[in-house]
Amino acid sequence: MSDYRLVIIGGGLSGLAAGIRYARFGRKVLILESHVIPGGLNSYYRRQGILFETGLHAMTNYAQPDDRRAPLNRLFRQLKLSRKRFLTHEQIVSEILFPNGVNLLFSNDFNLLKDEISAKFPRIIDRFLRLVQAVRDYDPFIPCEWISARERIKDILGPPPAGGDPAEDEFFVNMLLWPLMMYGNSQEHDMDFSQFVIMFRSIFLEGFFRPEGTIKDFLDMLMEHYLSLGGEIRFKSEVESIYSRGDSVHGVRLRSGEEITCDDIISTIGYPGTLRLLGPAVVEDGPRYEGRISFMELICLVSMEARAHLKKSDRTIIFYNLDDQFKFCRPDDPINIHSGVICFPDNFQGLQGTARFQGKDVFQVRFTHPANYDHWRNVSPDEYKEMKIVWGEKSGQETAKIIGNYLENVVYQDSFTPITIEKFTAKSKGAVYGSPVKIKDGRTSFKNLFIAGTDQGFLGIVGSMLSGISMVNQHVLEKI
Amino acid sequence: MKRDEIRDVILEIIQDIDEDAEVEAMKADQPLRDQFDLDSMDFLDIVMELRKRYKLQIPEADYPELATLDSCVNYLEPRLQLTA
Repeated sequence: MSDYRLVIIGGGLSGLAAGIRYARFGRKVLILESHVIPGGLNSYYRRQGILFETGLHAMTNYAQPDDRRAPLNRLFRQLKLSRKRFLTHEQIVSEILFPNGVNLLFSNDFNLLKDEISAKFPRIIDRFLRLVQAVRDYDPFIPCEWISARERIKDILGPPPAGGDPAEDEFFVNMLLWPLMMYGNSQEHDMDFSQFVIMFRSIFLEGFFRPEGTIKDFLDMLMEHYLSLGGEIRFKSEVESIYSRGDSVHGVRLRSGEEITCDDIISTIGYPGTLRLLGPAVVEDGPRYEGRISFMELICLVSMEARAHLKKSDRTIIFYNLDDQFKFCRPDDPINIHSGVICFPDNFQGLQGTARFQGKDVFQVRFTHPANYDHWRNVSPDEYKEMKIVWGEKSGQETAKIIGNYLENVVYQDSFTPITIEKFTAKSKGAVYGSPVKIKDGRTSFKNLFIAGTDQGFLGIVGSMLSGISMVNQHVLEKI
Repeated sequence: MKRDEIRDVILEIIQDIDEDAEVEAMKADQPLRDQFDLDSMDFLDIVMELRKRYKLQIPEADYPELATLDSCVNYLEPRLQLTA
């Protein structure tokens, strides 16, 4: 008899969802989490009495509770959680900002994006609607070969009409791709068409929202549910190796030396990280799966006085790319200040939008930039600290050009880098979106070891949770 | 189990999947899928729930037998005979 029927490595959202799904049917399941709290990429920490969220700017895939087929509601049904009691706040408005002030606004009402495109790209709007139809009709969940999103979009849009300019088409496609890439593309320059379809639906057709309360409340709810179903979780329990024999795995060893046996393993710590646990014989295959996309994020608390003179301060998220040449890749510098995401996490409908910090009313702004892992890795602790300050200042100067000068009103600032991400999320090289090569069916060369989460190809909170659920459904439920 | 007991169990499971499902108005000879807008993931829940409650293994090849309420009852009746 094994100690557990199922062991799940990683207590992030995909691991918790997989655990809940499995525990629902009454079998012994254990989640092993190396950190002291759950959440993985989407977790939280406290500084000076304030709870800061990591990862979560907004959840995607907004849907009204009565839309049964929507991914968000499907997720709640599968976990036997009440969608009606899950209170949400929708975004206000978001923006894609490109050179020369060209911008597109979008919200959870898709008509806004259509109107914006009609007004700003009149030669493209009809062809864009064709693309929307293609996105609606496509089934992105059937495993298939990688298809270039850029090429496929070009095919669907077709050539520009007389008087149109191919360069304008390309500029427009880059604008569309930019938020989708920043929100979940693990490869440089291009993306898989299936991934494009998933992200287009979850961001443009469904939209941004956030749950009532903080990510901590959301995680607490999941934890409580998991434990009430009899699931077990252990924190500070880093897996050091996975035991295998022939083509099957049969247990794990923790860093503490403890050994735990099991019938199946679902790993949510990424494919390269999972290979590493299997030992040197398997790891050769690793580099192909190492992601290059990572970020630095600055979190600022800004005093309320600044609000009056800021521009665009009603936005929920601004996706900006002010490089002359569009790039989505690991930058040459430690970070690329010319592109990134500016998020006002208080700007959701029905939120009050202020917090108290040291007796002052403050609001939060977060700045996220593409970052180069190697630059942050190969420095001494002192240099690392210095780099955080220097690049934080550079980011401040650049982002102030977009939203106005907020720098004098910053009362508290914190930042994290690819190194922080790697340390707390086990994402190899801080690659938040994981491997550029996705394991869509979750299978590995071991018949009872499966991959869920980012490297299985679903992204975002809703996506990663659905990944955990579907891997349990497809691979381990039938054995119950 | 009697036929009407099996029927109630199925409806209870569906109600459990979707608290808004109007099971009173359902037609026993029409596909459950269409009437309750069940997707394949919901369908798996019905199968798993039966397995959990009655230790009944339903192979995937038999899933079409569960299409309507009537066909569910026909399929399950002989298989649930030993259950009180």
